[in-house]
Amino acid sequence: MTWQAVARKDFQDAVRSKWLWALSALFVLVFSLPAILQFYLEMGSAPPQGEQGSSDAFIFLMKQGTSVLVPLIAIVLAYASITQERESGSLKLLLSLPHSREDVVFGKVVGRAGVLTLPIVLGFVVAAVLILATSLSFKLANFVLFAVLTVVLGLVFVGLSVGISAAASTGRRAMMSATGAFFMFVILWNAFANQLVNLLDKYVGLADATQLHAVLFLKLLNPTQAYKTLIDSFLLESAVQSRIMMFGFMRQQVAAQTLGESLPVYLSNGFVVSYLLLWLLVSVGVGYWVFENADL
Amino acid sequence: MAAIEIDGVTKRYGDVVAVRDLSLDIAEGEVFGFLGPNGAGKSTTINMLLDFVRPTEGEIRVLGRDVHDESVAVREHLGVLPEGFSVYDRLTGRQHLEFAIESKDADADPDALLERVGLSGDGDRKAGGYSKGMAQRLVLAMSLVDDPDLLVLDEPSTGLDPNGAKQMREIVREEADRGATVFFSSHILGQVEAVCDRVGILREGELVAEDSIEGLRDAVGSDSTLKVRVDSVPEGVLADLRGIEGVAEVGREDHTLRVTCDSGVKASVITTLESAGAEVEDFEMEESSLEDLFMAYTADKQEVEA
Repeated sequence: MTWQAVARKDFQDAVRSKWLWALSALFVLVFSLPAILQFYLEMGSAPPQGEQGSSDAFIFLMKQGTSVLVPLIAIVLAYASITQERESGSLKLLLSLPHSREDVVFGKVVGRAGVLTLPIVLGFVVAAVLILATSLSFKLANFVLFAVLTVVLGLVFVGLSVGISAAASTGRRAMMSATGAFFMFVILWNAFANQLVNLLDKYVGLADATQLHAVLFLKLLNPTQAYKTLIDSFLLESAVQSRIMMFGFMRQQVAAQTLGESLPVYLSNGFVVSYLLLWLLVSVGVGYWVFENADL
Repeated sequence: MAAIEIDGVTKRYGDVVAVRDLSLDIAEGEVFGFLGPNGAGKSTTINMLLDFVRPTEGEIRVLGRDVHDESVAVREHLGVLPEGFSVYDRLTGRQHLEFAIESKDADADPDALLERVGLSGDGDRKAGGYSKGMAQRLVLAMSLVDDPDLLVLDEPSTGLDPNGAKQMREIVREEADRGATVFFSSHILGQVEAVCDRVGILREGELVAEDSIEGLRDAVGSDSTLKVRVDSVPEGVLADLRGIEGVAEVGREDHTLRVTCDSGVKASVITTLESAGAEVEDFEMEESSLEDLFMAYTADKQEVEA
């Protein structure tokens, strides 16, 4: 196994790219903005008595942004990771050395994940420092969990993009597939989940509770939804509450009544984490399989 | 054990046959020149050796191992200068070598390698700023890491100036002296003639010749040109010369005659001239160059068709 060498080279190469520094700047800016705003608003005024805010409020706000921004940037960083080398011919150098194609795919996932994780961590560190300077109370555990989940979300989308890049024969195809994947996960998924269950109901006929569970399950298969609900579940300290929040305001009460006190196991946090990681495994696995059998 | 065993290999891309039923054995320690015009299937063959593409039919073993099933193990003992590669623009020359050294789990000195290919002083520059020739030298240096048992060089002199090409030949010779097998492709024949023990000529995906340079010369009939300077050209002697069996062509330029013939009949050419009353002042043999041979093997078909 020589994927470490591939990952290191890939990271070395990317670190010299201006991209990485632009990304870091972007993340730092995005993460620090709410904290700076808070700090600015507080200047000169006494901290409000009684209802003191915490860093959880920051997380609540930020997760909407990160759930779009992190997938987007992961895709941009990684969709060409293999097709670019294939089209330029540097892949020939890589594969003239004793690396298997497995090492190439795995090394790329690790290398690009490193490239994405570095600016994310930097953004979180800066945000933490800024929050400490405000009157918000800093809840370290939640903040760290938020950071870890954000890195995992990034990893899933890096894996997805590297998988696409490995399977695609040209950069153009990789770009189109990756763009499609982004819109599917970030924009179309929920509508698709509702439609599918409606169709099922129309032809098979489902009990209301079954419908609700089915919609919820489909939504949880979306990595960005899984990410958000996992964050909510530790902010609200209730997995059930966080699942209810996945429904629109109108359906929340029905959802609460249907779900009751506890969740079926396939809607539990543990399973949601496994769905998230399944995307990583499946997309890297399928990408590798196609790449392994391709003529280069 | 043969260094390379290609056994009945065919590669098709849809309807196009890139390589047709190719069988070729390269012995260990041999320097083999793989010749052919562009598009003959040389790179496809090399890409199959490296497992970049897979044969439609047939088997390839390199250093006794199947190139697909044991691809990584094969490449641990291989040094490769591929065709149509590009370097990593943002990495320096030294970083390229360090990557090759790490990948091969080798213990080599990047500076010594840089010096060997004539890049000393350029190691800390980004490879994106290298000329084509420099990139070629850098990848040659990468291929030399860890003293490979087999060097596969695809069109190695691409982008090199004459001096660089000479250095390349010297390195090929040094590697062969060390005991390495060298397999290299070229459409530039001077390269091959100077360093190869044996050559194979590929045309339209098929191996049309496989022999030593001398063997090839004999096989083609190896006409030589005899250049004779005489004091005078007696009448009728040209016709006499043309009548000698083994003489293909007689040309005249003032007092110099050019006789294309088998090397075996040069004595009768001289005798015929002298008995006709001409005094031979000077003569020399010009052996046909590999270039002519190569043309004979690869161009005759097109000429006939034309």
